[in-house]
Amino acid sequence: MRRLGLLLAVVLVAAGCGGSSRPASPTTAGDDGPAPLRIGTKNFAEQFLLGELYKQALEAKGFRVELKENIGSSEIIHQALADGALDMYPEYIGVLLSEVANVRARPASPAAAYKRAQAFERGNGFMLLGMTPFSDANALAVTPGFARRYHLRGIGDLAQVPGGVRIGAPPEFRTRFEGLVGLTQRYGLRDARAQPMAIGRQYAALDSGKVDAAAVFTTDGQLASGRYVVLDDPRGVFGTQHVAPIISRAALRSHGPRAQAVIDAVSRRLTAAAMQRMNAAVQLRGRASADVADEFLRGAGLK
Amino acid sequence: MTRAPEGSRLVRRTLRTPITTRVLLLSAAAAVLIGTVMVVLIVAVTGQRDAARSAFRSQEALAAGNQLEKSLLSIENGVRGYVASRRERFLDPANEALASYPGEVRRLTTLVDDDPGQQARAQEIGGEIDDYVKLWARPLIGVARRQPAQARSIVITNQGRLRLDRIQRDFNGLFARERAVINAREKRAEQGSSRAIGVGAGGLALVILVTLGVTLYLRRAVVRPVVTVAAATGRLAAGELSARVPARRHDELGDLARGFNTMADSLQRSRDELEHSNAELKRSNAELDQFASVTSHDLQAPLTTISMYAELIERRHASDLNGGMALVDGIRNATQEARTLIRDLLEYSRAGRGELALEDVPAGDMVTRALEALAGPIEAAGARVTVADLPILRVDRAGVCRVFQNLIGNAVKFRVPGRPPEVAIGAAREGAMWRLWIRDNGIGMQPADAERIFEPFKRLHGEEAYPGTGIGLAICERIVSQHGGRIWATSTPGAGSTFLFTLPAAED
Repeated sequence: MRRLGLLLAVVLVAAGCGGSSRPASPTTAGDDGPAPLRIGTKNFAEQFLLGELYKQALEAKGFRVELKENIGSSEIIHQALADGALDMYPEYIGVLLSEVANVRARPASPAAAYKRAQAFERGNGFMLLGMTPFSDANALAVTPGFARRYHLRGIGDLAQVPGGVRIGAPPEFRTRFEGLVGLTQRYGLRDARAQPMAIGRQYAALDSGKVDAAAVFTTDGQLASGRYVVLDDPRGVFGTQHVAPIISRAALRSHGPRAQAVIDAVSRRLTAAAMQRMNAAVQLRGRASADVADEFLRGAGLK
Repeated sequence: MTRAPEGSRLVRRTLRTPITTRVLLLSAAAAVLIGTVMVVLIVAVTGQRDAARSAFRSQEALAAGNQLEKSLLSIENGVRGYVASRRERFLDPANEALASYPGEVRRLTTLVDDDPGQQARAQEIGGEIDDYVKLWARPLIGVARRQPAQARSIVITNQGRLRLDRIQRDFNGLFARERAVINAREKRAEQGSSRAIGVGAGGLALVILVTLGVTLYLRRAVVRPVVTVAAATGRLAAGELSARVPARRHDELGDLARGFNTMADSLQRSRDELEHSNAELKRSNAELDQFASVTSHDLQAPLTTISMYAELIERRHASDLNGGMALVDGIRNATQEARTLIRDLLEYSRAGRGELALEDVPAGDMVTRALEALAGPIEAAGARVTVADLPILRVDRAGVCRVFQNLIGNAVKFRVPGRPPEVAIGAAREGAMWRLWIRDNGIGMQPADAERIFEPFKRLHGEEAYPGTGIGLAICERIVSQHGGRIWATSTPGAGSTFLFTLPAAED
């Protein structure tokens, strides 16, 4: 057995010497098994948490993971995935359909949306893993004082704000249906203006009065503080946003069904309450995503 | 009892070491010194070369980093331009940079691989650039192709710029560190070169000093003693036999000095002995001459008396004696013979003594005088005398006349019976002297005899055959010698002899 290993090593070395001049990829050099799973995350705090959760759970089970954080919006990160620069990233199914798959019609249910998205990804050589229980939908939030002054309950009430409302939002908000496009079409907010800013900065902008409203996510930790009011969306501009990791089928093949089981086990435990708690810990108490994820995984018996 | 101090013992030990060993040791020490200087120089120069090389490498690394930064800006600007305008040509520089940047990253990483920290930084930057390209620039191009409006709104977020800024910050860290490395290396190289210059100058000075020292030492230890011995040799050669050199040393030069002194001692001893025996000889010769002179002079008076009484007997008592007259004749003859002997002896003892009355005299005159004196015997023998052209000599006229007379007389006297003598007289120049000769066709002699005939009273033949006292040639020898010349004879027995002698020429 030992001798066979030695022989194999000799053959490999010989092949390496005489064979192709293509340098070995640094990630595969010197070990067996597949290359590390490259997980990407979008450019905001909840994504960082999700990245840490999947990464740490996989690493705890002996998988090698390379985490690329803060890549960018869905368009960019999905393109990176399609380019092969990533193996997997957690995506909000509604965003995937509206912004990447260009599906304008809102699916009847989260399950239908998942099915639709799955079909879209399979056509590209990818697949969606299990969906999370939580949904992190887009929403518009204002300060309680602003809401009182203009008697705001729902998004449509923003039309009463004189001079048009200023909305602090990520840049893509301007061009998305779940943004100014939908707000104009469904609520007629023609005077609304989007003020582009990095995700996470809009609460501070709201606090300082630089903007009147902020595009927020329903799982944002700040919303649990009671300092902000989320406006109702009766006409359904913002859909539900359950998360499902999109993974390249080639990567899944090389890492095997066990990896999928680990990822699915994490996704299953991510309820809305759990996400808000973790988001609050990171966004409001300034704890590190890695620590919060580690705590959660240990509590859930996943690590 | 006093003990020699350490120093002098050291000196003595040094003096006992052979010069060869000392010179070898000095040369070895000089070689070691020069070798050490060379090694230090080589080390310094090598260090400086290495420092210069690595400084050059660092400069290259900086250049590579700058190139890489430029490529990144090309990508970012190209992508932004494309996103804003949707014109493919904006992507040309970006595509070029996208193709070239991996090589540039590898080059940078290779150029800083002599510093692990820098290499780690370069690798980190390489990873960030990879992420920027793969997770930002390329996807953005893809988005721009399909969803230009989205791409434009994404570009506005400046995330690309932010990523580049981060990379640039890392670059600045790398550059700052590399510049620090360059500065340190340059400083080290500068220090190394000034050290090399110092070592070179110091080594050169030291080598010059050592060479000077060795030269001075050799001068003191070898040249000066040799010169001393040479000077003493010169004095010795000039006759100053008391010349000696100090011989305290115990090396080869000491041996030389001792050898010289021994030689000088021996020479002086020999000369003293010679001088002593010479003086002795002179004294005894002088005594002998004095004795001969006094004796001959004193003997003449009694002989004259005897001769006078013999005559008186003959004159007055011839009739009384009868046959006794023959006895009286015998007395008279013997007395005459004794007087001749005494005269010759006196002449011999006078010859060579006293001052020479030097004057320029034609040799021909003196030959003529001699022939006149010998006219009787010449005629009696029927001899023929041939005289060649003869020179003017600077001599004592009476003495040299006597020489010619003796030699020509001998030539006529020792003839072969029945053969008329033939005598030839000639001369030839020989430096400051003239060589003169008198050749005959007489009886000749054995070559061994030719050397002995100049001794006083030496006769080769009985007086009955050839009369004479045997003092003539001895007198000739004395006169010629007194003039600074020499006399000798060559001969063939039965065929004749040639007598040759040299005398000073007249001054021109």
